[in-house]
Amino acid sequence: MADRQEVLVGAVAYSANVVPIWEGIRDYFAESSAPMDFVLFSNYERQVEALLAGHIDIAWNTNVAWIRTLRRTGGTAIALATRDTDLVFTTVMVGRAGSGLDGIESLRGKQVALGSRDSGQARILPLHFLHRAGITEADMDLVIFDSDVGKHGDTGRSDLDALRAVVDGDADVAAIGVNTWNSLRAGGDGAVADLAVVWESEPYSHCNFSVLETLPSERTRPWVEHLLAMDWEIPEHRRILELEGLTEWKLPDLEGYRSLTAAMDEQNISDHW
Amino acid sequence: MSFDLTVRLIEAVGATAAGTTVMVPLDGPDEVRTAASWADATGNTVLMVHPDPVEIYRGRIADPIDALSPERRPGHRLWIYTNFHCNLACDYCCVESSPTARRRIIEIDEFAAIIGEAIAADVAELYLTGGEPFMLIDLDERLRVATAARPTTVLTNAMQWHGERRRRLDALPRDNLTFQISLDSATADLHDRHRGAGSFAKAIEGIGVATELGFRIRVAATLGPDAGTTEQELERFFDDLALEPDQRVIRRVARQGSANAGLAVSRASLIPEVCVTADGVWWHPVAAIDPTMKVVDNWAPLRTTIDTIRDEYRTHRIANDVLASSFPCA
Repeated sequence: MADRQEVLVGAVAYSANVVPIWEGIRDYFAESSAPMDFVLFSNYERQVEALLAGHIDIAWNTNVAWIRTLRRTGGTAIALATRDTDLVFTTVMVGRAGSGLDGIESLRGKQVALGSRDSGQARILPLHFLHRAGITEADMDLVIFDSDVGKHGDTGRSDLDALRAVVDGDADVAAIGVNTWNSLRAGGDGAVADLAVVWESEPYSHCNFSVLETLPSERTRPWVEHLLAMDWEIPEHRRILELEGLTEWKLPDLEGYRSLTAAMDEQNISDHW
Repeated sequence: MSFDLTVRLIEAVGATAAGTTVMVPLDGPDEVRTAASWADATGNTVLMVHPDPVEIYRGRIADPIDALSPERRPGHRLWIYTNFHCNLACDYCCVESSPTARRRIIEIDEFAAIIGEAIAADVAELYLTGGEPFMLIDLDERLRVATAARPTTVLTNAMQWHGERRRRLDALPRDNLTFQISLDSATADLHDRHRGAGSFAKAIEGIGVATELGFRIRVAATLGPDAGTTEQELERFFDDLALEPDQRVIRRVARQGSANAGLAVSRASLIPEVCVTADGVWWHPVAAIDPTMKVVDNWAPLRTTIDTIRDEYRTHRIANDVLASSFPCA
């Protein structure tokens, strides 16, 4: 590991907004006892490799990237913090309002649109929840959109492609992250008004700041304490929190990763790329 | 080109991430033209012109219409409601047709003029519907005009082919003409529940008549919330009728007209299928009496109206794509 004072945080550049988000977070930490800088990766797999190699101290990981990190470290990796919104993340199945579809069982025999193969919310977990309900691939007509592979669904692109299939009559429902659904509803889009949630999953955990156990706690503790001190009521903090999609940083809930762990086992999803 | 305007454009668009938009304040139509010219020359796109500012998209945008298969592109297909009255009064009818509905007939001269405009607008296929088109005893005259111009499909309940109408049916050309016959279930119960007692048997009889006379047919079902396992039963029934996949249509009831339940539809959520009625031009035939779906009062000039519909569709789709880049990280 490089000898440096600053904590180096890795994040994936899923959109151009990532730059002002992390510049804002870096500025927030500049006057603290745990100053930080950041580096951006083009995909989560590259970021996990960099964390394991010690090129970065902390990785802002999706839930899929976290499980891979955990497995690659023999279960010793540590999750430091998460967003409040990551603790109550869900997948929603969205169809056209008035379709008569209601509940996961009603999806048997239907066209189900799914997002990218590395998206926890739009592909891996929906398939797991369907399987758990006794609905296999053979019981559905799957419509697949591998639109943003490497970003683990962060761009929302494959969610939107799946939703578009519903709007265009090419699928009965789309499995998407609740964050995408809430963003669309907030926009007042006319097409969204013609859609409705057919089923919503149980909550599960999503992103977290992941570290190796070898990173000394005297480096992580002040960093986490300063992170948790970000305050929605302070305008300059709020700007960053809104861009990143949260109101408060929280400690992670590791139980919330159980469903994804089971899903990745069941679907034989690699711990690597 | 104004130096000040150019600098403003470079500053604003230069600071904008690819795939997102920025509003640039402008002063008058000359500056709008300048901005459009600058955007085109620099690899950017003017998305919309608002009363004062112009909205510029950073980068080139692929035309969302090009992403549609050719037959789904707005303007490929033209629907014409020849009339609105019907011998049936189906309880889910999207345009509230019935024997007592206001007729709103498009007479033959006006019909021929519409077909002429459709040809000029490069429409590739025609769909005639109603009401029940065969309520018009002289429908055959319209069908001759239509089939001489483009492949034509007529939506019908196939219950009117008797007497003079049958004689005129016999004399119709077989080329370029398809009858899309309504049949909502494989047995009489469900079909008759929504469309009227005895209508199932007559529809089956009509399918037989059209087939015997050598017409190409397609069979179309409209399924409501009470359809249950009808879809599977219908597919088996269609197999028995030896219908090819492209001769089968099964769709859900839309919450329009007489239907108080069914799929929610709107301009924002439907790929437009341009539709002409005696009252104007509509976004889609499934909503040809919904005021929010009306595009213009007059069908002429049709090419201009089709362009307007394409532009609205294009703008909405592009706006949705821009929205995609504004989502917070998952």
